[in-house]
Amino acid sequence: MFYREAGQFKTTYKSDQALFPIAQDRYFVIGVVLFAFLVIPFFITDYWANALLLPFLIYALAAIGLNILTGYCGQLSLGTGGFLAVGAYASYKLMTSFPEMNLIVVFLLSGLITALVGIFFGVPSLRIKGFYLAVATLASQFFIVWLFNKVPWFFNYSATGQISVPPREIFGFLVTGPDASPAITYLFTLTLVSIFALLAKNMARGNVGRSWMAIRDMDIAAEIIGIRPLKTKLIAFAVSSFYIGIAGALLFAVWLGSAEPTEAFGIDQSFLILFMIIIGGLGSILGSFMGAAFMVLMPIFLKNFMVDGLGLQPAFSEHVQIMLMGVLIIFFLIVEPHGLARLWQIAKEKLRIWPFPY
Amino acid sequence: MSPEPVQTRIFEEEILSVSDVSLSFGGVKAIQNVSFDIKRGEIRAIIGPNGAGKTSMLNVINGFYHPQEGLIRFKGKARRRMRPSIAAAQGIARTFQNVALFKGMSTLDNIMTGRLPRLEKGIFGEIVNVFLQAAYLGPARRSELEQRKYVEEIIDFLEIQHIRRTPVGRLPYGLQKRVELGRALAMEPELLLLDEPMAGMNLEEKEDMSRFIIDVNDQYGTTIALIEHDISVVMDLSDRIIVLDYGRKIADGTPGEVQSNQAVMDAYLGVPHE
Ligand SMILES: Nc1ncnc2c1ncn2[C@@H]1O[C@H](COP(=O)(O)OP(=O)(O)O)[C@@H](O)[C@H]1O
Ligand SMILES: [Mg+2]
Repeated sequence: MFYREAGQFKTTYKSDQALFPIAQDRYFVIGVVLFAFLVIPFFITDYWANALLLPFLIYALAAIGLNILTGYCGQLSLGTGGFLAVGAYASYKLMTSFPEMNLIVVFLLSGLITALVGIFFGVPSLRIKGFYLAVATLASQFFIVWLFNKVPWFFNYSATGQISVPPREIFGFLVTGPDASPAITYLFTLTLVSIFALLAKNMARGNVGRSWMAIRDMDIAAEIIGIRPLKTKLIAFAVSSFYIGIAGALLFAVWLGSAEPTEAFGIDQSFLILFMIIIGGLGSILGSFMGAAFMVLMPIFLKNFMVDGLGLQPAFSEHVQIMLMGVLIIFFLIVEPHGLARLWQIAKEKLRIWPFPY
Repeated sequence: MSPEPVQTRIFEEEILSVSDVSLSFGGVKAIQNVSFDIKRGEIRAIIGPNGAGKTSMLNVINGFYHPQEGLIRFKGKARRRMRPSIAAAQGIARTFQNVALFKGMSTLDNIMTGRLPRLEKGIFGEIVNVFLQAAYLGPARRSELEQRKYVEEIIDFLEIQHIRRTPVGRLPYGLQKRVELGRALAMEPELLLLDEPMAGMNLEEKEDMSRFIIDVNDQYGTTIALIEHDISVVMDLSDRIIVLDYGRKIADGTPGEVQSNQAVMDAYLGVPHE
């Protein structure tokens, strides 16, 4: 009986509408956030930041973005890699064209620019649905990567065609560039991701989220009760791309430091992030974090276990990883479309009645 | 249901008038030259055999289908091309013959969606709204709580408090129909269109639903247009009845008048046409 809702009666709609109406959930989340902000920065190393924590946080943000569009609003997109690229190149152009611009402003503007691009590619969604929309977004993915490869203005005419982040500070702390300390890059990313996760949760549980889910569940009924499909879908495209754009800017400027479009923002990224939300849970902010954690950790865990532990070939471990991913995706698509987030909820329901079976 | 005969109620003001409306799909003439009116405050039934064009008529009224001919006036204003979202904003709500709820959402959230059209803003207001919602600030929080209060009244009214948090996909059919009525009521409609609200229900559920329909009409003063196959329910509930057959109107009047109409009896007893 560790986890219980019983006895927690809500006497006002206000408390019932609170972010985490159940006290245990609230304490759990507060605990995790405090630990992330106050404990981890003291122990963080380059390896932990670059191999685990930064990719986890940045992919979680991108997964929230895709979840808004696909999980909440039901519009399947395979263009995530392209939108990451837009965010990354927007931040690069802003940082190099306006060296004095505050980093926060750079990231917000990168998100806004990506949102505009997202709206542009979202317009066809009024007419085309499902599989066909996915193909259209796939086309945008290839077009964007092609554009960033072909037009030298985007990479400031550098000989390699790569973009490299210039060193930038915020409040006197170096955040970007090779000399930035892992604690700072981690805290900067953590702050942005926490704030935007909270904002996403608020949108998802309010009217905006309800209009998205109405379109997802039955667009004709939604239209007949007076929800305007195009407006609702475009808002989802805009918000989703905003999130993915900021994730792209973080991925390039804070995590990788330099990037080349085909490698960093290819179709693999689109699928990786789609798998994250399928495994983590469609239509769940928590699930976006779980999916990102799973997809970042699993390859490392498998490699440590199979190569270092059992002494198998690295190539073999990679094959196992691909197979395992395929199995898991089929499992979650067929058995549990709400993913790890739903399994977690079931576990909590079991804990609530523990140790009794009923 | 009440055994004593219903008192004839008198209604003056016309809320909707349909004149000479025709609708066809390719070669199929779903509605042919149909005219009728609905008075504010009444319960108006539309009956007729399957395929008579009843659902199509509701779809025309709320702007989902566009008739090739005819004129529709709502609240005195003739309308040109209509869209469902505009009809909804003007005060027309409806339920569907096959339940059309948002399966992945809870009862509460489904009914809350009925409030969405009232919160429509221009493009700029819409953008501001997204930011306010994201930050859950002042106006967004207030509006959310206000809507919640309104919706909770509907939940009490329909006696569905116990399924507030249940995803509607898991509810039995009868309750789904009730939630769908709740979603339509949340729109605070002036004209409520109900497409076979009691189809597939047992006697007890039908009685509950009849009571809700009467109470909505009574307490909220909502005008109701109702499609229903159970003739005894129709006779009990409605003030006036339209009978459609093969897309044409074959009778229109009080339950008593319609019951004694030969053409209606023929249509229902399946007397061959000519
Ligand atoms: N969207 C549509 N496309 C083609 N035919 C339609 C459509 N909607 C209705 N119809 C046709 O119009 C006629 C009337 O249908 P409907 O209004 O559903 O009847 P009812 O609700 O009285 O059973 C039927 O012949 C039906 O096949
Ligand atoms: Mg019908």
